[in-house]
Amino acid sequence: MRLRWKLTVASLKMFTRQKEAIIWTMLLPLFMVFLFGFVSFEGLGKIRIGVAGGEDEPAGQLAGQLGEVRTVQVTRGSESSELEQLTAGKRHLVLVLPEQFHAASGKELRVLVNDGTPEETQLGLLILRKVLDDETFRMHTAPGRVPMTLQSVASRRSSYIDFLLPGVLSLAIMQSGIFGVAFGFVALRKRGVLRRLSVTPMRPQDFIAAQVAMRLMVLLTQIVVLVGVGIVFFDLQFLGSLLDLFAMGLLGGAVFLAIGFFLAGIARTEDQVVPLANVVSLPMMLLSGVFFSRSNLPEPVRLVTEFFPLTYLADGMRSIVLEGSTLPALWLQLAGLALWSIVSVWAAVKVFRWE
Amino acid sequence: MILAVDNLCKRYGDLVAVDRVSFSVRRQEIFGILGPNGAGKTSTLEMIETLRPIDSGTVTLDGLDVGRHPRQVQQRIGVQLQTTSFFEKLNLRELLLLLGELYGRSVDPVQLLSEVDLQDRAKAQVEQLSGGQQHRFSVAAALVNDPLLVFLDEPTTGLDPQARRHLWGVIRRIRSEGKTVVLTTHYMEEAEELCDRVAIMDRGRIVADAPPPKLIGDLLASGFKKERVERLANLEDVFLHLTGHALQEE
Ligand SMILES: Nc1ncnc2c1ncn2[C@@H]1O[C@H](COP(=O)(O)OP(=O)(O)O)[C@@H](O)[C@H]1O
Ligand SMILES: [Mg+2]
Repeated sequence: MRLRWKLTVASLKMFTRQKEAIIWTMLLPLFMVFLFGFVSFEGLGKIRIGVAGGEDEPAGQLAGQLGEVRTVQVTRGSESSELEQLTAGKRHLVLVLPEQFHAASGKELRVLVNDGTPEETQLGLLILRKVLDDETFRMHTAPGRVPMTLQSVASRRSSYIDFLLPGVLSLAIMQSGIFGVAFGFVALRKRGVLRRLSVTPMRPQDFIAAQVAMRLMVLLTQIVVLVGVGIVFFDLQFLGSLLDLFAMGLLGGAVFLAIGFFLAGIARTEDQVVPLANVVSLPMMLLSGVFFSRSNLPEPVRLVTEFFPLTYLADGMRSIVLEGSTLPALWLQLAGLALWSIVSVWAAVKVFRWE
Repeated sequence: MILAVDNLCKRYGDLVAVDRVSFSVRRQEIFGILGPNGAGKTSTLEMIETLRPIDSGTVTLDGLDVGRHPRQVQQRIGVQLQTTSFFEKLNLRELLLLLGELYGRSVDPVQLLSEVDLQDRAKAQVEQLSGGQQHRFSVAAALVNDPLLVFLDEPTTGLDPQARRHLWGVIRRIRSEGKTVVLTTHYMEEAEELCDRVAIMDRGRIVADAPPPKLIGDLLASGFKKERVERLANLEDVFLHLTGHALQEE
């Protein structure tokens, strides 16, 4: 135990004395956040309308008509769950339909609006009005326009930085896991350092344990630094618990460290490490929803990205940061990462070698 | 007898790199394995050091079978590899402390460094040292566990004559502290000056094993005459006579 601790401390010392390591693990992610944080990518996305109440057929009809409008995305659910989504900033409007509602029923329509997104809300109301009017017009018996009451709901103002930061954090965890370990380990092996260590009574698992411990400490620092910068400079709304974030980050970190050791095992030289690591990490970096939502991906691609470890990590981190989700709610992400960590540790052990 | 090597063999594919090698080393001896590149010196040493698997034969070190008790053997030996490097970014002092931890020991880096005349460079990193200093540092690194037996694989190769002589002094000092030293070299005068006993190795086999004066005496007794006489014969002649080729030709 003492040996592992000393090895860990020594590894940390080596790590912090390496300029490149600090640049890659801390400064680059920060740079990304600053760069993308100040450039606004917000533009108008889809207008998300929730339809609550009215399990009956006319309600379904209205939801269908709204859904036909290209910029609208309709979801249906109970009033309470849709309200919750609205408060979380995930809906722009929520329609609360009375029983047996249709355009000619004369019944009043209650609309809950997101007060944090005025543009989308206004546009959504216009579209809604138009759809209802068309319907009224079609039914000659209609008594007049459908009455609507608006009710403003204080909702989370969700900005791009809120979306981006947990993503970049996950990306940083992946990069320092894969690149840091694969590159560092192959270099140690090539330079004969590991060989020198293997004539001492130190056991390989001591060395690996220390490396992993060191990397995980760096990872926790990454989390604290990035979230801290987000809160201080970008008004990041951190709703979750830091401990949950740590737990999710550590599990993700374990996966990527194991992938790093796996790559170090299959790479012969340092020159082979970089392309290998890129092949693994680039698709995830681009497709796991770090910078842009995966919902814009073509369906088959999106389905595949569903299972990327970085997708699980980024979704989990984002959900903790933005929605204050706790771990039990993120069982899918945790299970995904756990499965990945089993597979990648197994693969890393298979191909591991000192020389 | 602190080390006994019996019928040791190593094959790489078709190549028999170490061929039924046997020798033994006494306590507090400086024992040299002399041979050209490719003779099998490193393979022999690294089998003894637990670094390479032994194909056949036995090695007994301080009463322990190396093949069966690698961990206890590792506690008793200090090793300088032919090519090696240490962690970057740690200075000499930190490296020695860390290496000591690997043996579960708290070492005194200053004392170790002064053993190899590097006490002034405790804060330097290995890359900042000269070639001779780097070699001396890796000798210090081989001493962190206060080993019974120290293995040095070509400790002076690539060094200038002064640096080489400096290292000889260090090696003699280590021996005078009661340790046994096994080293390899392809320098004749090094074997002759430094070693109490020399095994001459060629193409995987040991062709002679005796103190240098005896090897030379035996050669002269066999009627050998040098063409141009400065001394009656030196180790180089012994080597030539035994192997039929010069040491440096490969
Ligand atoms: N790992 C290895 N794989 C294949 N051949 C090797 C290996 N190590 C050494 N050899 C070969 O074995 C022979 C002896 O090598 P070595 O023990 O390094 O000799 P020396 O140390 O005397 O120069 C050489 O011909 C060398 O090329
Ligand atoms: Mg050699």
